[in-house]
Amino acid sequence: MNLEFIGKCLLIETEGRRILVVGDLHLGYEEYLNRTGVFVGREMFKEVLNYFESVFAETGNVDEVVFLGDVKHDFGKMMRQEVNDVEELFSYILQKCRRIVVVRGNHDAILEPILRVIENTELRESYCVGEVCFFHGNKKSEEVENKKIKFWIMGHGHPAVKLSEPGGVKREKFKCFLKGRFKGREVLIVPSFFEGNEGSDPRENDLGFAFDFNLNKFEVLIVGENLEVFEFGPLSRL
Amino acid sequence: MKGNIEFVKENDGKEIERILHPLVREWFFSKFEDFSLTQLYGVKRINDRRNILVSAATGGTKTLTAFLSILNYLVTLSLKNELENKVYAVYCSPLKALSNDVAVNLISPLREISGLAEKKNLKMQEIRVGLRTGDTETKERVKMLKKVPHILVTTPETLAIVLTSRKFVEHLEKLEYLVVDEVHALTNKRGVYLSLTLERLSAMCLFEPVRIGLSATISPLEEIAKFLVGSERDCLIADVKLVKGIDISLNFPGENILEAESSESQKELYKILDGIVEKYRTTLIFTNTRNAAERVIHHLESRFRGKYQGLLGAHHSSMSKDKRFEIEERLRKGELKAVISSTSLELGIDIGSIDFVVLLKSPKSVARALQRIGRAGHKLHDNPKGMFIVLDRDDLVECGVLMKGMVEKKIDGADIPKNALDVLAQQIYGMAITKVWNVDEMLRIIRKSYCYESLTKEDFFSVVSYLAGDYALEHRHVYAKIWYDLEKGEIGKKGKLARVIYMTNLGTIPSESFIRVVVSSPEERKGLEIGKIDEGFLERMKRGDVFVLGGQKYQYLYSRGMKAYVKADISKNPTIPSWFSEMLPLSFDSAVEVGKFRKFVSERMKDKKDCVDFIKTYLYCDGNVALEIYEYFDEQRKFSKIPDCERLLVEKFKEEKEYLVFHSVYGRRVNDALSRAYGYAAARIRTRDVEVGISDNGFFIAGEKLDEKKIIDFVNSKNILEILKESIERSDILKRRFRHCAGRSLMILRNYKGREKSAGRQQVHSEFLYSSVKKISNEFCILREARREVMEDLMDIENAKKVLKLIDLNKIKVEVVRTPLVSPFGLGLVTQGRTDLIKMEDKAKFLKRMHELHLKIIEGKKDI
Repeated sequence: MNLEFIGKCLLIETEGRRILVVGDLHLGYEEYLNRTGVFVGREMFKEVLNYFESVFAETGNVDEVVFLGDVKHDFGKMMRQEVNDVEELFSYILQKCRRIVVVRGNHDAILEPILRVIENTELRESYCVGEVCFFHGNKKSEEVENKKIKFWIMGHGHPAVKLSEPGGVKREKFKCFLKGRFKGREVLIVPSFFEGNEGSDPRENDLGFAFDFNLNKFEVLIVGENLEVFEFGPLSRL
Repeated sequence: MKGNIEFVKENDGKEIERILHPLVREWFFSKFEDFSLTQLYGVKRINDRRNILVSAATGGTKTLTAFLSILNYLVTLSLKNELENKVYAVYCSPLKALSNDVAVNLISPLREISGLAEKKNLKMQEIRVGLRTGDTETKERVKMLKKVPHILVTTPETLAIVLTSRKFVEHLEKLEYLVVDEVHALTNKRGVYLSLTLERLSAMCLFEPVRIGLSATISPLEEIAKFLVGSERDCLIADVKLVKGIDISLNFPGENILEAESSESQKELYKILDGIVEKYRTTLIFTNTRNAAERVIHHLESRFRGKYQGLLGAHHSSMSKDKRFEIEERLRKGELKAVISSTSLELGIDIGSIDFVVLLKSPKSVARALQRIGRAGHKLHDNPKGMFIVLDRDDLVECGVLMKGMVEKKIDGADIPKNALDVLAQQIYGMAITKVWNVDEMLRIIRKSYCYESLTKEDFFSVVSYLAGDYALEHRHVYAKIWYDLEKGEIGKKGKLARVIYMTNLGTIPSESFIRVVVSSPEERKGLEIGKIDEGFLERMKRGDVFVLGGQKYQYLYSRGMKAYVKADISKNPTIPSWFSEMLPLSFDSAVEVGKFRKFVSERMKDKKDCVDFIKTYLYCDGNVALEIYEYFDEQRKFSKIPDCERLLVEKFKEEKEYLVFHSVYGRRVNDALSRAYGYAAARIRTRDVEVGISDNGFFIAGEKLDEKKIIDFVNSKNILEILKESIERSDILKRRFRHCAGRSLMILRNYKGREKSAGRQQVHSEFLYSSVKKISNEFCILREARREVMEDLMDIENAKKVLKLIDLNKIKVEVVRTPLVSPFGLGLVTQGRTDLIKMEDKAKFLKRMHELHLKIIEGKKDI
C-alpha cells in the first residue's frame, strides 16, 4: 500500500486502485445553526468545493473517493438546500472518480435516501480493500477486526493538536493526522474536513473511539496551508 | 430642542402637607413624625407633574417620596369614585426582588389608608397594585387585563414585553407617572434598552407621563437626568445631601500586609471579622466575588465552630431567587448576625437595619463604596458605619484614596453607552411588531432617547437592513425579522412567530456559557468545583499549563464537555497568564487620585515621620496604615522609581520572556486601551505575538523581545484610535464581546421555535460566528457595535486619548528603567492582570517555524 498526504485528505494506492480519503465533512453546519436560530452566512459549501478543487489539481482523477463518515452535520431532517448541496458536491466529485463510498458515521442516518439516488455511490458500515479497511471509528465490527486486515483508516475523532513555543506566548491549534499501531495493525486517524473548528487535542479530550488506542505513542502529522503536511513525531514528545 | 436641567432645593413641609388629602395626611403622620429630607425635595415637584431625578444615598426614603404624590392622587380619585380601569403609574426597577418589595410596601400603605377611610365611613374604590415580572404566571397576567392594576410594578425587560402585548397596551395609553428606580444601576446596555422602552411607551401615550427617577449617589447628575428623560424634555434634579458624616476606617490583618495571604494573617483576618460580627447586631460583608463570599462563610463557620450555627447567610446573584428571598426575609426579621454578599445587596432591597458594613477588598469606586456602606444605619439619622479590610498593598493605597473620596464626597463619574446598535436592533424589532411604522417617525422616537440623540441615519438603516435580511441574499427568508418598503418608507414585522421570538429572547444581559473548573486530584478534593473560565481561555490552554484562578494555582489536565479538570496544590509558576472574569474596573477619576497621591507621597519621602503624618491626614487613615503605605513606597523607591500622575514609569525586566511594565495609574478601562495600542506596536515591530496584561494600576507587555523605545514612540493621541481598531481585531476580547452583541441583536436566539437552548447548545464557537459574519461584511452593523462596545464601554478610549495627549505635550513624562526583576509596584500587576494576546504572526508561518524548531531539536538529539 502506498500512502500520500494531500492536505486534509489522504491518497492511497492499493490493489491497483487510487483512493482519495476524506475525513468528517459535516455539511450543513450553517443550515443547522440557522435552524436553531443563529444568524450565520452560507460560506462553507463554497469553501469545501474550493478545497476539493485544489486537492484534485494535485492528485488528478482517482479511482474512488472514500468518505469516512459524518458527511452531514445534523441528525434531524434535511432541507431542500442541503439536499442540493450534497447532490452538487457528489456530482462534482464523480467527475473526478469512478465511484464514491461513504462509510456510515454517527451523523449519517439521514443520508441514505439521497445516496440511494446518486449513481455510483454506496453507503456502507465499513469498506475493506485488500488489507486496508476504512470505517468511521465509533463502533467495533467483525469486518473491521478480521485478521487479514492490516490497516485501519478512520475519521470520527477530529484530531488536532495545540502547538506552543517554549517561552513564547503564541498557542495555536492545528488539524492533524495521527498514525500509530494497535493490536498488530497500523492505524491512521484522518482529521476532519469540517472547517467550523480545528478539532480536539487528544491530550485534553477523549476523541471517542471504540478502541483503546494509546494515542500518546501515535505520530502527529500537522496539516498546514497549501496542502502541506508536517511531521512532528510522537504526540507524547510534542 | 434641548431640555432644561435644573437643580432644586427642598420645599417647606407645610407646602407638602397642604397638597395631601386629609386622609393621606392623617395616615402619613400616624406612621411618621415628619417628612424626610428626600420627601421635602421631591413630593411637591412630583405633585406638580415635573420630571425629576431624586438622588440620595441609600437609607433615604426615596420610594415613598416617589409614591406619596401618586398615592395621594389615586386616593383622591378613588374617594370621588373617579378611578378608571387603567394604569396610572408604572414603577420599573432593575431588580426583581425589589419589585416584590415595593409591591409589599405599596400594598400595606394602601391597606392602611383604606382602613382609615372605612373607620371614617368614607367610601373608597379599591386601588390595585399589580406586580409583573418574568415569573408572573399566565393566570395573573390574564387577570390584569380585566382588573387593570392602577400601579404596575415591573422590570425593564417585562415592561418591554408589556409594550408588545396587544391587549394590555390599551390600558397604558393614559399613563400619568413613570417611576424608574435604581437609575444608578442602569448606566449600561440594560439602561440603554430601558431608555428606548421608555420612549416607545411615551410615544404610545396620549399625553406625556411624568418621569421620576430614583438614584443612589451618582455623578454626573446632569447626564443621568438627561438619560432619564431623554434629550428634549426638562428635568429637575434633587441632589439630596442626606448623610452628614461617615464612620469609615481602613484596616488590614497582620502586622505586615505582605503576609496577608499567609495562614497567620488569614487567622488574623477572621479574628477581625469575628470581632466585628460579635460586636454589632447585624453585619453586612461585601466581597466582590461569589467565591470569596462562600469562602468567608466557610471560614467563619469552621474557625469558630458552633458559634455562628445558623446565624450567617450568603447572598449573591447566582443563588436561586427563593434562597435569596429567604436570606432577605431573615435579615429583616433580625435573625442573622452577618450576611456575606458579593455585590447583590448593593442595590436598595429593604434588608432591615444593618449596623456595620465590611468592605473586603476594594469596591473600585467612591460611589459604590458609598452605596455599600449606606446599607448600614438604614435609619434616617444614623451615620453609616463601616470598615475597609484589604489584603494587599495596592488595595491598601486604593481603598485609602477611595476613603478620602467618601469623606470628601468626591463621586466618580459614570458613563452611559451611546448609539449601541445591538440594543437598537432588538428595539426596532419590538417596535415593528406592534404596528407598521413610518421610518422617519420611528427614527424620531429613537432619537428622543439620550442614548441615541446622535444616531446617524446610516447607522439606523444599517440595522434596519440587517433585520430585513438584506445581508443574507438568497437565504433572506431565514433571517428576515422585519420588512422595509423603501418607496413608502415603511417598516413592519415579518413572520408569524415574530412576537413569540421577541418575547422569549429579549433582554441585554448576555447568556454566557462558561467552562466549569473541577479538581481531579488530589483525591480528597476530587470533584470540587473551583470556578469558571471562558471558552476562549480553555482554547488557549494546553495540557500541563499552570494557571491561577481565585488566587490559587492549578494545572490543567483535560476537559470533557463543559468541564475542565485540573490538579490542585501546584507549586510550579504559572505557565499561562491567569484568566479573570471581567472584573469591576477602578474608575478613571479614582485612579487619577491614586496617581496624585503617589506624587504627593513621593515628594515627601525624605522625612519619614513627616511623610507618614501627611498620609494620615490626607487619607483620613490611622498610623499603621500610613506606615505600611510609606514602607511600600519606600521599597519601590529603593528598587526603582515611584510612578505617579506625571511620571509614567516603564520598567523592563527579563524572565523567560521580556516584560515591559507600564505603571499607568488610570484604571483598567484606560489601561485596556493603552495596553492594546502599545502591545500592537510591540507585536508589529517584530511580527510576533505578544501578551498583554491589564490592571487598574498599569499594564504589561510580554514577548520574546521588546524594543521599548520604538514601542513607546509608536503610539500617540492621534493614531491610537486606528491602532486600537487594528489591535482588537487580533485579540480574543472582540470575538467574545461580539458574541454578546450577537445575542442582544437576536443573531443568536436563546429560544427558538419552542426550544430553549441549554448553555452548551447555545455555545456557537465565538471564533466561528465571528469569522462567518466577517465574511458577510467587515462593516456589518453588529460587528461595528462589538468594536464600539469594546473601545467605548469595556475600554475608555476617550480618556486614553487624553492621557496620550498629555504625553504628547510632555506633561506626563515616560521614563524607562531596567530592573533585575519585577518591582514591588509591578508585582501585583504582573501576577493579577487580566490578559489577552495580540496575534500578529500568521498561523501558517508559525507552524513552519515550529516545524523547523522541531527538526532542530531532533537533529540535536541525533548529534548526541
